[in-house]
Amino acid sequence: MFQLERLIVQFLLNFVAREDLNAFLRNPQYTATLVGSLIAVSGALLGTFLLLRGMSLTSDAISHTVLLGIVVAFMLMSSILGQKPDLSSVWLIIGAAAAGVATVILTELIYRSGLVKQDAALGLAFPLLFALAVIIVSRFVDDVHLDEDAVMVGEIGVAWANTNSHCLVQAERTADGAHRAKPEYSCDSVTITPNDPRAEFTRQCVNCRRLGISPRDKEAEFTEICANCGDYSPAQAWQAGFTQKEPLLVFWPKSITVMAVMTLLTTIVVVLFYKELKLSTFDPTLAAALGFHPTLLHYGLMVMVSLVAVGAFDAVGSILVVAFFIIPPAAAYLLTDRLPRMLVYSSLIGAAGAYLGYDLARGNLLGLAQISDILAGLNDLFGLDLIEKWDSSISASMVLMIFFFFLAAWIFSPKYGLVSTMIRRSNQRRSFDHQVVLGHIHRHQGRVAESDEVTASTLHRHFRWSPTKMQRVLRQLRARNLVQTEADLVSLTARGETHARMFRQTQLTTETGGE
Amino acid sequence: MPKLPAEDRHRASFEQRRIQRFWLLIGITALVAALFVPFSQIFLHVEYDYTLRTVALGGALLGVVSGVLGCFAVLRHQSLLGDALSHAALPGVALAFLLAGRDLGLLLIGAGLTSWLGVHFIRMVTNTTRIKQDAAMGIVLAAWFAAGIALLVYIQARPDASQAGLDTFIFGQAAAIVERDVQLIAVVGAASFITLGLFWKEFKLITFDAEFAGANGFRVNILSMILSTLIVVAIVLGLQLAGVILMVGMLIASGIAARQWTDKLGQMIILSAVFGAFSGSAGAIVSAVDADIPTGPLIVVVAFLLVVISLCFAPGRGLVWTLLRRHSDRRRFAAQTILHDLYHYAMDHGAPATPGETLGERASRPHLGSAVPEAFLVGVRGATARVGLRQLSARGQVQQRGDAWLLTPAGIEAATKDDHNHQLWAVYRQYSDELALPMVAEDRQQDIRNFLPGEAVEKLERQL
Repeated sequence: MFQLERLIVQFLLNFVAREDLNAFLRNPQYTATLVGSLIAVSGALLGTFLLLRGMSLTSDAISHTVLLGIVVAFMLMSSILGQKPDLSSVWLIIGAAAAGVATVILTELIYRSGLVKQDAALGLAFPLLFALAVIIVSRFVDDVHLDEDAVMVGEIGVAWANTNSHCLVQAERTADGAHRAKPEYSCDSVTITPNDPRAEFTRQCVNCRRLGISPRDKEAEFTEICANCGDYSPAQAWQAGFTQKEPLLVFWPKSITVMAVMTLLTTIVVVLFYKELKLSTFDPTLAAALGFHPTLLHYGLMVMVSLVAVGAFDAVGSILVVAFFIIPPAAAYLLTDRLPRMLVYSSLIGAAGAYLGYDLARGNLLGLAQISDILAGLNDLFGLDLIEKWDSSISASMVLMIFFFFLAAWIFSPKYGLVSTMIRRSNQRRSFDHQVVLGHIHRHQGRVAESDEVTASTLHRHFRWSPTKMQRVLRQLRARNLVQTEADLVSLTARGETHARMFRQTQLTTETGGE
Repeated sequence: MPKLPAEDRHRASFEQRRIQRFWLLIGITALVAALFVPFSQIFLHVEYDYTLRTVALGGALLGVVSGVLGCFAVLRHQSLLGDALSHAALPGVALAFLLAGRDLGLLLIGAGLTSWLGVHFIRMVTNTTRIKQDAAMGIVLAAWFAAGIALLVYIQARPDASQAGLDTFIFGQAAAIVERDVQLIAVVGAASFITLGLFWKEFKLITFDAEFAGANGFRVNILSMILSTLIVVAIVLGLQLAGVILMVGMLIASGIAARQWTDKLGQMIILSAVFGAFSGSAGAIVSAVDADIPTGPLIVVVAFLLVVISLCFAPGRGLVWTLLRRHSDRRRFAAQTILHDLYHYAMDHGAPATPGETLGERASRPHLGSAVPEAFLVGVRGATARVGLRQLSARGQVQQRGDAWLLTPAGIEAATKDDHNHQLWAVYRQYSDELALPMVAEDRQQDIRNFLPGEAVEKLERQL
């Protein structure tokens, strides 16, 4: 991971100055938005397939149980290797992915017993694994990165602060064309040993604790220990003043690398296996018949979901990540019928939600209003005692923005939205009304009971409509130049005549066609 | 077709056994629960002080409420609805706190309101779009939970300490339960049980056959709304103990366990209540051992253990019994197959000739004395041959002679009977219509006399 970061940093430095890059990365908003967008894109790509396969809630289960994998791998590493890995460690990621797959397998085992339905099997498996994880965390693990708050909301707001420092060797070209490090900068790491002149010593009481005496006691024995011995990275060495030459540093947030790798991996998998995923999603039987190994694809997808969930764990916690898997694809599903567009739309929705979510957390409601103003207004109106400063969880706010996009898609989608459905329905209703009235007039025009059947004042009775509705329909028909009224008698115009005949004909064809 | 008296008798005894088994199970659970108290005192050093008694009682009551109402979630395939709704309760808790301060009753009402809104939202999304129920539940789960977290983080910025402990709703905390909470749980739980009793028939109907209920003029929508509301009540009550994330486990686990032991809704609900009470109180007690261990996860673990025990040992459908049955079926089948093979081999080949015997003498002997080499049987039947031979020789129906096997008189008798049974089945298949015999599923492994009344078998015998 570290080497990869280095490559990225060196690549980026071709385009931007080091100071600008550091300023960008140190801005909490930019880093949070970048990490959030990466989570959103990888979540949306996978979530689209989950949604279409009717497995959305599997992502919920996996994102919960990923915690167990992290915790177990964490404990194994700290007891075997004696080191505390952080969340970008490859072993933790592997452990988490294994836990994700274990969830799916456990669910299948319970379901395969034939005694429990699928939803209940899922509802049994993941609370159990999550419960075990919580028990282990609260009982055995003492680490800030694994407390319960981190599980809930993550720390995307401080993602910028958890960095790897990369020291850059500033090269210059010498006269003979070779590259040589510039002499005024240093990338040396420093090791301070007790023999080093820079080593500082403090006195420490060796028998105080054993004898239960204070260091002031006469019997206290002391030993000198080195307070600042150890290895210093270039950045640390510069900070501690061990190097006179300033190292050129780039502070690169670890979360960005982890999520960038996950996003890249997801994109590659989706692009490479696009055909297979598509086929096995829409027609699993055909996919199996053609030899595409649906089971293998299924588990592959689950592994990817676990990987993204663990990558996102650090930033958004283990529950909110579900939103990135489920909500953007659901919104995109309402906007399009084409799989490639759905993939693109859901990625865009997720990323936009991540971008606007940061502002929301800082109290800016879509650039339209300040939440603090609203809170103040509420206080004035209802005499409440709310704090007017709004400073809330960034990850939760991102989810809320994504949800807002879902609502917008649900209401305004051109094809499946509530508004367009309502308009379509009312159009259908109107055209149906028009047709029955035209048909009625066509049937009775010029017949015996004409005066009773087709007069404007009595017409409504034949349809059991209210007079107002009849008036309205007649008005609309007149406006379309389909009927005319002469002294209360309604008759079809030439255009209306054609319409009615056509309608009658299509009706006859459908009737005979139906038989 | 007239019902056979034997079948009636069989069914009645089956029913009786089932009720006996039901009470036995409840007795065992009670016994385990009773033994658990001294066990925890001696081995876990749990002190039953006032606080723990309150918490354990609260856990038991919550287990009963969520166990009973969870049964419906399980049976209606809405297990994961519980998950979505418990997450959806969080913003309600936060909002109620913001507007009205820290009063448990109001917090729970707020929780109930938002998760009830969640139910509605799921219903609306699935009714008006092509989004399936699982995705709709996922949306509610994540969005409502995010709203709750956003509000909680905002609340935590308050300078006063009154907000402390609001986040116990996320993971649950048994120690926070006081006597007033227990009373509240008891009252609300009783109210929801009364509602359940009033709509018992309707709920049962919409749970098992919603279409039939709709066709008969029941308001399925309203009824399932009431039922969902009751489930919301159970979830909201349980939040304090189990927390929003693990509430689903508490809600459905005891129902799933209970489902394994019975096919009757009433019995299932009572069992589920008992299991729920057990896991609720046991979880609360064990978590008292160490202040670091949260209660909710422990309750879920205990409940899951009950599920595993039920899945393995439930009479009739338990996994252990299924495995044993499959094993003994395989052995029985192997024995029967090999017996059949040996019999036919012997019939076809006849007895070996003894010196000085005339052909007539040889034919008049029961010609079942020829031994079949084991290698031949293995070649034809594979592993079945060895299993079957072992079975048969244990029953004394075959004996070994060198490398070959021979039917003993007992074996000959069994094989003859078996062959006769096969023939009766064959005749039954051919003539059952003609002879107006009752319809039964053909199973040649079984004695036909167990399936057909005596006179029918006599008719078949005559056909032979």
